[in-house]
Amino acid sequence: MEKKKQKDIMKLALRAGNIMMTSGAEIYRVEDTIERICKSCGIEDVDVFATPTGIFMSTDNEESSNTVSYIKRVRSSETDLTKISRVNQFSRSFTTTDMTVEEGNEILDDIENSRPYPFWIRALAAAMVASCFSVIFGGGALDFCVAVIVGLMCYLISRFLEKYEMNFFIRGFCCCAFAAFCALLAAASFDGVSYAPVISGCIMLFVPGIPITNSIRDFLSGNMLSGVARLTEACIISVSLAAGAGVVIKLWYMLGGISL
Amino acid sequence: MMHLFTQFLLALFATLGFAIIFKVPVRHIPACIVVGGLGWITYLITDYNLGSPVMGCFFGACMVGLCSMICARLFKEAMTIFVIPGILCLVPGAKIFYTMEALLRSNVEDMAHVGIETLMMAGAIAMGLLVMGAIIKVFWALVHKTVDIKDFLKKEL
Repeated sequence: MEKKKQKDIMKLALRAGNIMMTSGAEIYRVEDTIERICKSCGIEDVDVFATPTGIFMSTDNEESSNTVSYIKRVRSSETDLTKISRVNQFSRSFTTTDMTVEEGNEILDDIENSRPYPFWIRALAAAMVASCFSVIFGGGALDFCVAVIVGLMCYLISRFLEKYEMNFFIRGFCCCAFAAFCALLAAASFDGVSYAPVISGCIMLFVPGIPITNSIRDFLSGNMLSGVARLTEACIISVSLAAGAGVVIKLWYMLGGISL
Repeated sequence: MMHLFTQFLLALFATLGFAIIFKVPVRHIPACIVVGGLGWITYLITDYNLGSPVMGCFFGACMVGLCSMICARLFKEAMTIFVIPGILCLVPGAKIFYTMEALLRSNVEDMAHVGIETLMMAGAIAMGLLVMGAIIKVFWALVHKTVDIKDFLKKEL
């Protein structure tokens, strides 16, 4: 196998792995996908080491004694389970049919540019999550209405901050601070609105469910490094959420708005 | 009973919201919300009967793990797609808030109590997923005969 072809296959596999990793797949799946794609093209000697922030891979070719390695820095972006599902299907069809590398690249282009849900639907979904949880945590009908508006605005702020590449700590902090402020304002202006369910509902929007789930699955498949990394991420996110809400409530209390 | 039903409905809608935020493929949304609703109802029933939210989280996570494994096999999809929206309902978001509130009241006793419960609930979710994952792994190994018990025993003994 010539070196150019070997490189092309590796680039394709690495791209598929990168899409999966940025969309929130677990390590095992990323490594497995890359290995399968390489092996289906006749590269037998593949080694992949993936972490949440980077993918390392190297392949060896016996006949032409080509050793090629790549390091891919992974920049985290938003979770997108559709992309994981589609790359999964792509790797399955790539390994079972004789698809060429160019065709594979076209499909990956298509996957990378896919937008399954428009923005306003996701914003409404966020409002639904916040309002449903505010009722689950003991809110009434009025709390439900307040949580719809606050949840919607929190999600908008979160997207806005993400666009300006704020890190996840600042994002969680700001969103929860804003949610607490709105909830306290509503509780002060209207009778019958209590701030606790509304704030808890909005916190549920940002809880680190994905880092917790993925870290367990990474631990289970023996990827200790990323397991620890994601567990730490989950802890930091929870602290940022609590701190954001806490600072605003404390300030409100000190200004005499509520009694704790 | 009515209370349980309302909670189930609310959990369904909440999971639907999560499924859309995390962009679950449209054709898998019904399965996703059922997984989420079942996980939450398991949590509620266990919490009600045993009086411990930690055990509730454990069994809820087991339920989510089991259901999403079934869905993953049924639809030939990655398990992650069903686990993530389902498990999010169980994450103790309200407990994070109440820990914070106790801290603000300088009520260390309350804070320690709620805080430890929060940590244990998160740990229980992890344990539930872990146990379920291990059981599934052993189960499939036995079904696919990748580990032959007779052979294994012969070699070891």
